[in-house]
Amino acid sequence: MTSDANPQLQEKGGPVIEAQGLVRRFGKLVAVSDLSLHVAAGEIYGLIGPDGAGKTTTIRMLTGLMALDGGVARVSGEDASNVGVREQLGYMPQQYALYGDLSVDENLTFFGRLFGLNRAERERRKDRLLEITRLAPFRKRRADQLSGGMYKKLALACALLHQPVALVLDEPSNGVDPVSRRELWELIYEFVSDGMAVLLSTPDMDEAARCHRVGLLHHGKLLAEGAPDALTRRFHHETLMVRTANRDALEDLLVGREEVLALSPEGAELRLVLRRGSTQALLAWAETQVGALHWEPSKPAFEDVFLGLLADPQSCSEPAATELSGGAQ
Amino acid sequence: MSGASKKRRRRGLVLIRFAAMAGKEVNHILRDPQVLLFALGMPVVLLLLFGYAVTFDIDHIPLVVVDQEQSASSRELIAAFEGGDLFEVVAVRETPEEVEPLLQRGVAKVGLIIPEGFDRELLRGDSPQAQLLLDGTDNNSAGMALGYANALSQAATKKAAERAGTPLELPLEARARTLYNPGLRSTVVLVPGLMVILLVMVAVMLTALTVAREYERGSMEQLFATPIGRLEVILGKLAPYFILGMVDVLLVVTVGVLLFDVPIAGELAVLTGVSALFMLAMLMQGLFISVATRNQMVASQLAVISTLLPSLLLSGFIFPVESMPSPLQVVASIFPARYFVHAVRVVMLKGGGFESIGVDCLAIGLFFLAMLAVSIKRFRRFVA
Repeated sequence: MTSDANPQLQEKGGPVIEAQGLVRRFGKLVAVSDLSLHVAAGEIYGLIGPDGAGKTTTIRMLTGLMALDGGVARVSGEDASNVGVREQLGYMPQQYALYGDLSVDENLTFFGRLFGLNRAERERRKDRLLEITRLAPFRKRRADQLSGGMYKKLALACALLHQPVALVLDEPSNGVDPVSRRELWELIYEFVSDGMAVLLSTPDMDEAARCHRVGLLHHGKLLAEGAPDALTRRFHHETLMVRTANRDALEDLLVGREEVLALSPEGAELRLVLRRGSTQALLAWAETQVGALHWEPSKPAFEDVFLGLLADPQSCSEPAATELSGGAQ
Repeated sequence: MSGASKKRRRRGLVLIRFAAMAGKEVNHILRDPQVLLFALGMPVVLLLLFGYAVTFDIDHIPLVVVDQEQSASSRELIAAFEGGDLFEVVAVRETPEEVEPLLQRGVAKVGLIIPEGFDRELLRGDSPQAQLLLDGTDNNSAGMALGYANALSQAATKKAAERAGTPLELPLEARARTLYNPGLRSTVVLVPGLMVILLVMVAVMLTALTVAREYERGSMEQLFATPIGRLEVILGKLAPYFILGMVDVLLVVTVGVLLFDVPIAGELAVLTGVSALFMLAMLMQGLFISVATRNQMVASQLAVISTLLPSLLLSGFIFPVESMPSPLQVVASIFPARYFVHAVRVVMLKGGGFESIGVDCLAIGLFFLAMLAVSIKRFRRFVA
């Protein structure tokens, strides 16, 4: 796609997508509160958070599809609500938003025409996108007869046809099988390497780990922000695997305790994220309740960090990062 | 790029996006046979159904006769009643008391009683009295019968008086001649009215669903993420349905002329012009409903209510607007159906040109512009 690269992509120095103090309320509910973030050219920024965290609301404000109750949303330095911004922006909504009764070809043609591409240019880009998304053999197929993965690839192709400088994807691999998901990510990486700025939302931790930077959104607030591995490094709580004869009893015992930030069964073991410094005392007490326990520290996965952050927003705060590296034992 | 060429390019893009939108709608229409069936089949079927079933022409009113005089003049009066198609003698009885049970049972709707001494009074120059009993539960038939009976008895009285050698000169005599519809055939008046109702229903319903469907399917979110403007969306959606609507006009007029002998006294171009204007106004009303409700279910119900009531009751199709209470007249003057009914009758029956329907065209045009303005205002680029 290098030959097709938008010349504006490489020239931008500042943030391509920018949010400052975004606020959005629905009645009494504050869906997004004082949210700031920026995405640079050539960067993939993942907005992560559980359902209802405010991801879609944030994305809609940044794409000019929702009015703001406060703050500023900009794309390429222009207010996101300006119609002119649309030419800079590629957007793929979370739900099915193409025309199911139109074919793959017709959907692409329609969106290409809306972006004012002339026929020759449109056909050239269409062919290229259909080739790299491997949808070329399905040009005549109706969009509602595509599989979930193929549909998402078509939606991505529709969003990329006008070669935007910013690409915004709302839960792109929602409802997509693992193979298609990998293909989708390969496509995203390819465009990012050409200098496109990508903002995406996901509730999926594996997907979040593929981003250059992530922002953790919870109840409309950005709890933490940084590169996934940096956040993992800075995470200063303790992650461990516990083996016991009676895993369910241990789970019942620990669930809801203040020291326990997260727990999840993994095979015969229990994976725990415990508040820093609480492991020895808590597990010693647990042994008196459910019998012998064997535990060993584990390297925190990004999911642990995410769950830890939900329970304690200070989990990755900067000063703690250096003094606590390897502090699990 | 210079300012002028930028402007030219922008204008070119508006046209391209409008054409893209219209082309997409055409694809939707062609792929949904139900839309075509609804748009083209329903008006014709309804016109046939209504055209044959709905008629305000009253004839063969069942009549019961009591002739106690049994004279030449009494027989003459009965023959006069029997003469036209209006009455049909279904029973002859001896006494007046036997008439009411027949009206009660619905066997007859009118009773004519000629008492003994009718001839004598006529010859004496007194006003002879024949009694007419009417079934008031069917006020249309009763009203017609009364009017006809009055005219008949007047004529019969005159004739009898002439025969008696004392010709009767009425001080004032009305000589009515009905213009434009000499036979007073109701289909001639009804079919143009029906056309209005059918076109209104089809036009508003077609567009009422289009925008709402995009909201429900989620495609509006994708559409708003492109540079397309609100006017381009609205006009792009309007265009294909406008063509479909004009095909409807052609179909309905053809059926009206061929099957119901509705005359087209005026010019076809005038009829087409005013129909096109009306079609635009109605499609726009549908689009406004769609934009405002964002929901196909609510939109279709609103479409039916907002078209059927004004076009059936407030258009002058059945009830003359001039006879309505003034608040209702104000309401009736908002909806274009009233103006279109008037314009169609003027053009089709009276042969009027644009000069005689200027006010109607102006009112319909204003409604279109108002609907366009509120639709664009309501049609915000936000999904929530």
